[in-house]
Amino acid sequence: MAGKEDYYRAVRKKWLFVLLCAVMIAVALILALSIGMYEIGFADCYRILIEHITGNITDPYADDIVINTRLPIALFAIIVGAVLALGGAVMQTMLRNPLADPYTMGVSSGALLGASIAIVLSSTLPLFNEQWVRIVMAFGFSLIPAMVILLFSFKRRVTSTKIILIGIAMMYIFSAIVQLIMITASEETLAEIYSWRVGTLALTTWETIPIPLAISIVCGAVLMFHYRRINVMMAGTKSAHSMGVDPERTILVEITIVSLMTAAVVCFTGTIGFVGLVGPHIARLFVGSDTKHLLPAAAVFGGLFLLLANCLARVSGEYGLPVGVISAIIGCPLFIFILIRMRRKSAWR
Amino acid sequence: MRLIIDGIEFGYSSTPVLKDITLDANGPQLLSIIGPNGVGKSTLIHCINRILSPNKGTVLIDGDKVNDISLKDLAKKVGYVPYSANDTFPLSVVDTVLMGRHPHATYKSLDKDLDIVYDTLRLLDIEDLAMRNFDELSAGQHQKVMLARGLVQEPEILLLDEPTSNLDIKHQMEVTRILRDLSLEKGILVIMISHDLNIASKYSDTMMMLFGGSIFAIGTPSEVITKENIKAVYDVESDVIDVHGRPHLIMLDEEFDSTNKPLSPDTYAVKEKR
Repeated sequence: MAGKEDYYRAVRKKWLFVLLCAVMIAVALILALSIGMYEIGFADCYRILIEHITGNITDPYADDIVINTRLPIALFAIIVGAVLALGGAVMQTMLRNPLADPYTMGVSSGALLGASIAIVLSSTLPLFNEQWVRIVMAFGFSLIPAMVILLFSFKRRVTSTKIILIGIAMMYIFSAIVQLIMITASEETLAEIYSWRVGTLALTTWETIPIPLAISIVCGAVLMFHYRRINVMMAGTKSAHSMGVDPERTILVEITIVSLMTAAVVCFTGTIGFVGLVGPHIARLFVGSDTKHLLPAAAVFGGLFLLLANCLARVSGEYGLPVGVISAIIGCPLFIFILIRMRRKSAWR
Repeated sequence: MRLIIDGIEFGYSSTPVLKDITLDANGPQLLSIIGPNGVGKSTLIHCINRILSPNKGTVLIDGDKVNDISLKDLAKKVGYVPYSANDTFPLSVVDTVLMGRHPHATYKSLDKDLDIVYDTLRLLDIEDLAMRNFDELSAGQHQKVMLARGLVQEPEILLLDEPTSNLDIKHQMEVTRILRDLSLEKGILVIMISHDLNIASKYSDTMMMLFGGSIFAIGTPSEVITKENIKAVYDVESDVIDVHGRPHLIMLDEEFDSTNKPLSPDTYAVKEKR
């Protein structure tokens, strides 16, 4: 039957996009390992990786840089990009709002407030492990908006508009408190809060990765498992209800998962913008809006994008720039260009 | 399939919308709900598929209270075609209609689901739109796609909120006739809200006229579409003539009709440019 074949052909093209992004991640990963102050050739990176795996290390200095400094940063860039873009795709689809992203709920401003309080406290109180206190505080505070929504749901019906409005209100409250802290803070504290706010991957070590990776894999798998009900939400609450999906429960469950996943990475990196908002839109231009293909496509594209943006960030300026700055400066014009070129048509037909 | 509505009442805070609605309906049949704006037609439909919960009374499907049926199982029994469609993000027609398979879908059912989707698109004569984006279609095509999405749910009761409001007269007749034929072929109960009384009267088995949140009249089209009922409910003077055994409404506006005569061709305010 011609009709069904057309559909399957379109689906194959969508999976091809996912595969292509995955292959490009593998290539870009080696590129990321070769970029930095200490020059290591593209081919040498392969050699160093193979040598490390086989245990036959000939250049311990290069091995240390590639394996212990650059590899965790590159891997974390992929994880963070994938998490933010996947979270953005879910939020946009479920709330039927193209401006939604994983930060819509106030996750990032919550994390910033938590981190700011930790930074201020660390300058006045001797705490056991400054960095981990900061991470734990950021994680805890970033989940507050989700808790507020859950509490709200006991009293009133939750709709996508209310979620967005509550998220914005939380964002303003958190920002106001952070401003207050910044006004009264010392210069040193101010600089630390500021650098956390911009978002960077530069502080990543191997210790950073296991917890966010585990949380992301579990949350990502649950979201993928729920792709059908997230998809049906696109039809609107009444229609979703009549197709067997409880819109209110779906919003609460998926928002909690997205918040948890986003909090797990944001507490380590600070606010990295753009990927979560625009990543899903770019993926959508190639694979359409059906979540079965959009969710994996957004995740792999987000991972690839942030990995490349981080490569660029590392070679920009004298000591490199925060990846959050680079991803927005490069990504936004690229996105507008794609929007103009593709109009409403799929980019992939 | 038997739908029983037993004395339901619904209101928003202190404003009652539905008052003591009672109905016992079996498939196969096409039941049209008519009435002026704001009398509670959509509210009644939403009470049947549990989008709204009545303040009083129960809705039973084959003897089971709708509140006791899981949402997914209810979606297998009751389909719904909304008045307007949402198109925030571009989605192909196939993907849009495929959503309707959600209550039945499993991880291995895609091929079968696609067969059902394409069969339905063919039935509604929109197979050529299958791979088009939903947001590129006309309002009339939107309505047909929405109808297809409701049909692929393979429901035993299909609820439709003004399914022909954006269609031209040919497609209004075609879609309403499909609904009537489907009700007979598949034995389903089709409940449709309509503002086009003549289309509803032409194809419906039963008509229900709502007024002030209550059932004003219910029965065959001939019993419901009468001069007296139209005057009482819509406050409109009319004539009802018989066309092939079904009532056909002609609206009258005596004041306008007596003072305004059609212009002669010479005095047309707007002339065709030659």
